[in-house]
Amino acid sequence: MSSKPAFKVLGRDTQRQDGVAKVTGREKFASDLSLPNMLHARVLKSPYAHAKVKRIDVSAISDPTVVTLTPDEVPDARFCPRLMSTPEATYKDWTVLTSKPRYVGETIAAVAAESEEAAQRALESLVVEYEEFTAVFDALGSMEPGVEPIHDYIELDEETLKVESNIACHLEIEEGDTEEGFRQADHVVERTYRTNRRYHTQLETKSVLVRPEPNGGVTVWSTTQTLHNTRILLHEIFGIPMGKIRVMKVPIGGSFGSSIQVNPVVPIAVALALKARRPVKLSYTREEDLHDHCSYQMIFKLKLGADREGKLTAGHLDAWLDIGAHQIQAYPLLGCVVGWWVSLYKLPAKSYVGKAVYTNKVPSCAFRGYGNPQITWAVETLMDELAEKVGVDPLDFRFMNYIGEGDLFWGQGPSVKSVIHSCGVEEILTKGAEMSDWYNRPRAETQTGRHRRGWGMGRGYHTSSAGAPVPGTVIDFGGAMLKLNEDGTFDYVSALMDHGGGTLDANAKIIAEELEIPHHKVNIVRADTGTTVYDVCTHASRGIYSGGGAALKVAAQVKQKIREQAGNLLDAYPNALKFRYDQQREQAVVYAEGIEGREITYKELAYTMRNKNLGTIAAVDSYRQPSCPPHFTGYFIEVDVDTWTGKVRPLRVIAGADIGTVINPKLAKGQIHGGLAQGWSMTVNEDTPYDPTSGDLWNRGFISDYKVPTSMDLPSLEAFTVFFADTYEPTGPFGAKGIGEGALNPVAGAVANAIQNALGVRFYELPITKDRILEALKRKEVEA
Amino acid sequence: MNPINKHNTHIVMPFEYHQPATVRAAVEILRKHPGAKPLAGGTDLVPKMKQRLLEPKHVVNLKKIPELSVVEDRGDAVYIGAAVRLREIEKSETIRRRLPLLSSCVRSIGSVQIRNMGTLGGNVCNASPAADGALGLVALEATVHIAGPGGERQVEAKSFFEGPGLTVLGEDELVTGFTVPVPTEDTGTCFISVGRTALDISTISIAVALTMDGDRVKDAKVVLGSVAPTPIRLADAEKQLKGKTLTEKLVEDTAMKVSESIKPITDIRGTAEYRREASRGMAVEAITKAWREGRTQR
Ligand SMILES: Cc1cc2nc3c(=O)[nH]c(=O)nc-3n(C[C@H](O)[C@H](O)[C@H](O)COP(=O)(O)OP(=O)(O)OC[C@H]3O[C@@H](n4cnc5c(N)ncnc54)[C@H](O)[C@@H]3O)c2cc1C
Repeated sequence: MSSKPAFKVLGRDTQRQDGVAKVTGREKFASDLSLPNMLHARVLKSPYAHAKVKRIDVSAISDPTVVTLTPDEVPDARFCPRLMSTPEATYKDWTVLTSKPRYVGETIAAVAAESEEAAQRALESLVVEYEEFTAVFDALGSMEPGVEPIHDYIELDEETLKVESNIACHLEIEEGDTEEGFRQADHVVERTYRTNRRYHTQLETKSVLVRPEPNGGVTVWSTTQTLHNTRILLHEIFGIPMGKIRVMKVPIGGSFGSSIQVNPVVPIAVALALKARRPVKLSYTREEDLHDHCSYQMIFKLKLGADREGKLTAGHLDAWLDIGAHQIQAYPLLGCVVGWWVSLYKLPAKSYVGKAVYTNKVPSCAFRGYGNPQITWAVETLMDELAEKVGVDPLDFRFMNYIGEGDLFWGQGPSVKSVIHSCGVEEILTKGAEMSDWYNRPRAETQTGRHRRGWGMGRGYHTSSAGAPVPGTVIDFGGAMLKLNEDGTFDYVSALMDHGGGTLDANAKIIAEELEIPHHKVNIVRADTGTTVYDVCTHASRGIYSGGGAALKVAAQVKQKIREQAGNLLDAYPNALKFRYDQQREQAVVYAEGIEGREITYKELAYTMRNKNLGTIAAVDSYRQPSCPPHFTGYFIEVDVDTWTGKVRPLRVIAGADIGTVINPKLAKGQIHGGLAQGWSMTVNEDTPYDPTSGDLWNRGFISDYKVPTSMDLPSLEAFTVFFADTYEPTGPFGAKGIGEGALNPVAGAVANAIQNALGVRFYELPITKDRILEALKRKEVEA
Repeated sequence: MNPINKHNTHIVMPFEYHQPATVRAAVEILRKHPGAKPLAGGTDLVPKMKQRLLEPKHVVNLKKIPELSVVEDRGDAVYIGAAVRLREIEKSETIRRRLPLLSSCVRSIGSVQIRNMGTLGGNVCNASPAADGALGLVALEATVHIAGPGGERQVEAKSFFEGPGLTVLGEDELVTGFTVPVPTEDTGTCFISVGRTALDISTISIAVALTMDGDRVKDAKVVLGSVAPTPIRLADAEKQLKGKTLTEKLVEDTAMKVSESIKPITDIRGTAEYRREASRGMAVEAITKAWREGRTQR
């Protein structure tokens, strides 16, 4: 389909407005900031995986300028650091500091001093007495009878809930008659899968700078994906009126979801600053950051049935989410896991039992894809196996069953349903098959010799935002302000955060397209909570679809005001006026076509309005998108497996993406390259295992033992092809959808299927490390 | 105080910094301050100090001592000063041509940034069982030159290591350099390592040097890294090769011997079973490559 209008700004590569600052190292991130008279904070972390703090003695601190903070000095409010659900879906089990640490590294106390070194020395003179409890490191083990409870009580919507069997929350869903569906199936496959727990490895560690204000308020510069939720949470914890809490927009040094919640450092630094009456900075070391967040480890029992022809008849999924010591967003995730699953392929009948389980480990939070990479890996692996049973090619099997245009879709969970209006799945799969010569790939189990090659494919999607026609339990809306400056440029003000992918530039381009000007005429303003309208969070691949939607909405309003004001000044009918860009004057011109002299540039308009006291042309508005269209992706990947060392290498990657209108081709491709890198590493490399004796991370937080791939581990650029499907999303700004998460979601499935194609062995646990590959080959040899 | 609140601070304990200009002066400082730590590139030492695994009260910079930074072709051997940067070794035409095995060991250390800082002396004195440079020196039967208050002494590379992080060095001794014999023309060599990613410390590594007379093995050295407390030479495997005419079968049998004679442990980089299993294939590859190279060079 190609009903696309011809664009002037969109679809071209443009230089990012923050590009120079970033490549010259002049950009200032939260961890770079400092204020006069500032104190430096350090936190005391629990050495035990599960304990009670009986006593904290601060009397040995010799430095009288040190400020300490202990659990009984902070508000005892329980909270959830992640505010994107309605109250009835927001489980609260956090406090600012804890006297019952539930994992090694949990923060018990904090100190602030004149230097980081002085703070560290003070920290080392704290004396803490603990009573140790037994700890549990496995989600299934945690639910066993007799296991020490990790939380006794938690809160939900002002009510107190007793936690049973360490189950944080659960969700069950059934649609259609699953039993009957499986009876109709000629082939059924059921498998158990276990994913890894990955660390985000975002460049910037969690940091915050807080300045207490004379009016009792605070100004906060922090690593965050959400300014407004930071303000709401600080208001809820500390009771400070919202107008006195100012959360500033600071560039974020990468995130991948790790700052989707308000980071624990933020309320700690606020409490310290309020007590010290001086600015306080708290910046985590990499080791602390590794003890702060990770992805959700999931265990799935997945069962799918298909009839003789290859039509799916039913599916059942049991999911156990190992959430670590606290809930960040476990309940909405239970909804998303089932949503991601049932929105991949048409299942006439389906049932789901999801449980989020506490363990004595680092709390899990969203990590690019929010559970989607995990479940898509399991589904795409099982789809290959089931196709084999049915006797159809796995690609054809997907063609027969995928959910596409016109179908109901609820990726973001059962309360967020909408209908798909743009779909590039056919194009992605057809082109990918052609380019990879898919139907002539090697047959599994036919290869011998040291190096074996295999092709695998995986497909998936992610939602662009969590919008829908009717409200559910997920909050999703944003807003923007736009004003015309006297020189004909515009200021674009929004609370949206740019994670580094160029989101705000993309939105500036959307505005530029609407207002017929080049992108650099739209100035991206660094704002704060006081100067922006609410935006939920830059997450869920919503930056362009929702954020750009809001930008377009205010741009259209501004354009209408320009028409009206120009109409008055030109003595012309506003709706008859046209717009063009005059390269010579470097100004947009509003004109009455064919009538000599009836034209005015934006600059002339703004100046005239100023001189005649007519006001500023501006618009501010909120925007709720009507849907959350999936952006579809598909990967065809060729690997080489060295059967002597177990090392897997990527040889070729063909990636197709349906993201609607492509706003910035290079940056969009960059998202896919990054998605491949993370997905590749998720499949063959990354994990954060625990040492059961110490209860700590096995690598103790040292990044030297948390490896991520470098360019040397990834396919060469020549061997990596990215193409975009020719689609247009009718509900998106100029037809655009998201890309961030869809770029990652199907990668693990594709890589795992390629490894299977090379070796004839399936793996049900991630990561598929060199060790596991040699072990499996040996087992196979022994069995044969 | 539990280590978790220390090992991740990045804040080192105070120390006194010394910058001697001669080996003699450096040794004198080490003698006067027991527990003082020499600092070369700092790529092993500084992370350990920041992680508070080491808290030296005195740190002695070696990089301003000219005699530690020389590379010299001495005909039948090449002398490499302890504080020569790894990157310099990697780029040295002499070393690439005359000691290709050492050159490839050094190239596999970390990244360019690490090699711009790190030194061969640091690699050896850090005494990690995974040290790639150390492996090459053991395989090439290098001599380690040591300076102490009593003067110079020399130790064979393979006897220098006593365990992870442990060497024969006294607290007041320094390594000044290495004499690395240049293998004869009929010697083929090969180094291979495997890690979790390209930029990783080896999970397992192997260096092989075979001196050939046609297909007959005159002399053999088989050295493995990360499978024991120190880099180890496998005498059994070497014995199996020496004096024999190489065949694919013999290579495979020897590789099996390699796999059987190591006693690796499981750590975060890999399991014991993995190391045993991988050593077999790696030995086949390394022996075969050394064999081909030794045969053709004649
Ligand atoms: C990211 C990263 C990747 C790495 N990858 C690898 C790898 O792939 N392979 C590998 O082998 N290593 C690797 N290393 C380890 C390290 O870079 C090397 O071992 C390097 O050669 C150490 O040299 P240095 O000069 O930096 O040693 P330093 O850190 O300066 O010293 C190391 C130790 O030796 C002592 N010392 C140094 N010089 C002398 C001397 N002349 N006499 C007596 N004692 C001395 C020091 O006191 C210290 O205890 C890596 C390190 C990092 C940080």
